[in-house]
Amino acid sequence: MYTAAFMVTVGVIGWVTVLVVSDTLERQAQRGLENEASALVDEFKAGGRQDLEAALAGRFANPLTHIRYVLIGVDGRALLGDETLLPYGRDPAGSVASRGAGPRTAARALSDGSRLVVADDLADVRHVEAVIRRAFLIALVIAGALGLGTGSLLSTALLRRLDAITRTAEAVVAGDLTQRITHTGSKDEFDRLAVTLNRMLDRIDGLMVNLRQVSTDIAHDLRTPLSRLRQNLETTNRRAATLDDYRVAVEQAVEETDRILDIFSALLRIAQIEATTLRKGFHPVNLSELFHTVADAYAAPASDGGRTLAADITADVWVQADQDLLTQLFVNLVENALLHTPQRSTVTLELSVRDRSVVAAVCDDGPGIPATEREKVLRRFYRLERSRYGPGNGLGLSLAAAVAELHGGQLTLSDAQPGLRASIAFTRELIL
Amino acid sequence: MKILAVEDDALTLALLVSSLGEAGHEVEQAGDGHTGLTLACGRAHDVAVIDRMLPGIDGLELVRRLRAAGVQTPVLFLTTMGGISDRVDGLEAGGDDYLVKPFAFAELLARIHALARRPPLGRVETVLHAAGIELDLVTRRVSRSGQTVDLQPREFSLLEFLMRNAGQIVTRRQLLESVWGFHFDPKTNIVETHMSRLRAKLNSNGEPDPIGTIRGAGYLLHALMA
Ligand SMILES: Nc1ncnc2c1ncn2[C@@H]1O[C@H](COP(=O)(O)OP(=O)(O)O)[C@@H](O)[C@H]1O
Ligand SMILES: [Mg+2]
Repeated sequence: MYTAAFMVTVGVIGWVTVLVVSDTLERQAQRGLENEASALVDEFKAGGRQDLEAALAGRFANPLTHIRYVLIGVDGRALLGDETLLPYGRDPAGSVASRGAGPRTAARALSDGSRLVVADDLADVRHVEAVIRRAFLIALVIAGALGLGTGSLLSTALLRRLDAITRTAEAVVAGDLTQRITHTGSKDEFDRLAVTLNRMLDRIDGLMVNLRQVSTDIAHDLRTPLSRLRQNLETTNRRAATLDDYRVAVEQAVEETDRILDIFSALLRIAQIEATTLRKGFHPVNLSELFHTVADAYAAPASDGGRTLAADITADVWVQADQDLLTQLFVNLVENALLHTPQRSTVTLELSVRDRSVVAAVCDDGPGIPATEREKVLRRFYRLERSRYGPGNGLGLSLAAAVAELHGGQLTLSDAQPGLRASIAFTRELIL
Repeated sequence: MKILAVEDDALTLALLVSSLGEAGHEVEQAGDGHTGLTLACGRAHDVAVIDRMLPGIDGLELVRRLRAAGVQTPVLFLTTMGGISDRVDGLEAGGDDYLVKPFAFAELLARIHALARRPPLGRVETVLHAAGIELDLVTRRVSRSGQTVDLQPREFSLLEFLMRNAGQIVTRRQLLESVWGFHFDPKTNIVETHMSRLRAKLNSNGEPDPIGTIRGAGYLLHALMA
C-alpha cells in the first residue's frame, strides 16, 4: 500500500520533470531557430540570393548541426535543401510551433517571393527527455524494490511481535500463567500493548494464586472439623450404650456442624464483601456511638478474663457506612485483642479526628504481630503459630480487611510498642 | 397460633410444617409467591414465615404487596446465608424479623413467639411486670419484691427483653440483636457474661433465680414466679 503510493509519487515527479525540462529545452531550440532564420534573412538582405545560397551551402557542409533548411521557390517547389520540409513553408508568416511529433520550425518570406524554412528535429531535447525518463524509471524500479523490501521487512517485524503475543496467549490458555510477552522497551504501540497485557496476566495470576490458596485452605481447614465429626459419630456408633450417650454425641455433632457452617458463612461473607463495589446500604453512622456500644459489650467479658478495656472516643463522629459490617469489623478487632493477649493486658478503643479524617483504632499491649507476618494474617485462615491451636478460625482479620476496603479505607496493623495497633482511616461525614 | 409458611424448598417446607405442628401450631403452607400472597390475604395469621427467594413473586415483593394491601401480619423472613444488605432490604420491604438458614428450630420458634407477642400498635406500656419484678421504662428503675435493683444500661435492656417475652424462651441471638444491635455471631460470650451479672443483681437478697437457662435454646423468665 505504502509502496504503491510511493511509486505513484515518484512517477508523477518524473513526469512533471520531463514536461518542464523538455518545455524549457524546446523554447530554447525555438529561439535558436528564430535567430538562425533571422541571420539567413540578413544574409539575403545584404547579398541577395547568391549570398543566401552560399551561407546555406556552408551550413549544409557542417556535419555537427541538426538543423535542416529548405528554400522554396515562388512555384512552391524546393529550390534548395530538404524537400520534406515543404509542408512547413506554407505559412509564410512565421513558425509552426509543432509540439510532440515532427520538428520545430521557423519560416521566413523573402522579398523575391521565395520562402525559407529552418527546422530542428529536437533530437537533443528528445535525447535529454529520454535520459530523464530512464533515470526516473530506474529510480522508480529501485524505489519500488526498496519500498516492497522495507514494507515486507516492517510487516515481518510486526508479524513477529504479534506472533510473540499469540504464542504467550496460547501458553496461558494451555495453563501456563507464568508466561509473559517479551517487549523491546521501545515504548511504541506494540510495547505498550505488551506491557498492558502483561499487567492483565499478572492480575489474573494473582487472582488464580489467591483462589488456589483459598480453595486449598478451605479444603484443609474444613477437613479437620469434618474428620472430627466423623470420628465422633463412628465412636458413638461403636460405644454408646445409653440414650444419654447418644444425646451427648448428637449435641456434639450439632456443635461441630455449626462450627463448619460458621466457617462457610464467614467465607461467603468475605467473598460477598470483596465482590461488592456499589456502596449499597450505606447510611450515615454514628461511629462514636458504635464504639461505645462495642466498648460497653466487651467491658464485662474483658474484666472477667482479667483484662482491662479502655476507651478514648471523640464524640459525635459520623461516617458513611454499613452499620452491621462496621460493628462486626470492630468486634473482630476487639475480640482478637482479648483473645491473643495474656491476662492483665489493656485493650484501648480509640476514635480520633483530624479535619475530615477519622482514625478508628483498637490497640493492645500484648505480644503484637511481627512485621513480617502483618500482611499474612490478613489472609484467610492464616494464624500465627502460637495461636494455631486456640479458638478461632483465622477469618476474623480477613473479614475486617474486606470491610475496611469496602469503606474506602485500609486495615493497618502496626506496632503499638508493645502490642498491636489495628487502625482504619475514614472520611468524616459532616452532619449539620 | 395460626402460622403461614411460604417456602419453595419442599423438604424445608415439610420440616417447617411438621415441627410447627408438633409445637402445637396450625400451619398453612405455600410453595410459591402467588399462592403465598393469596393465602396471606385470605385469612388472618398470627405470623407469616416467608422465604426470600421464591418462584413467581419473591419474598420481598410478596411482603411489599401484603403491606400495600393493608395486611399487618408480622413477617419473619428466611434467607440463605447471606447478602450483606439482606437484613436491611427485608425490613424495608415491611418484614419484622429475619433469620438466616440454616437455623436451630428453637431459634425459629422463639422468634415466632416474639413476633406474635408484640403489643398491638398504639398500646404503649410504660411499666412491665413479671416474676415479681417491676421495670419502669420511663424512670428506668427496676425493683424486685419492692427492693430497688441497680442495673447497668445493657443489663436493663436484657431484662426488658426477657420481661416482654416472659414465659417464652428467648435465644442468645435475639438478645444480641435487641440489646446490642449485633446481627452476627461474636466469638465471645457477651450474653452469658451479662446474664450472670443480671442474675447476681436480681438474686442478691437470696431469692430464687427467675431466669431459667434452656440448654441449646436460650433463656426464659418465669412469668408466674412470685
Ligand atoms: N491483637 C493481636 N495480638 C496478637 N496477635 C494477633 C492479634 N490479632 C490477631 N493476631 C494474630 O493474627 C491471627 C489472625 O487473626 P484472625 O484473622 O482474627 O484469626 P483468629 O483470631 O480466628 O485466629 C491470629 O490467629 C493471631 O495469631
Ligand atoms: Mg480473630
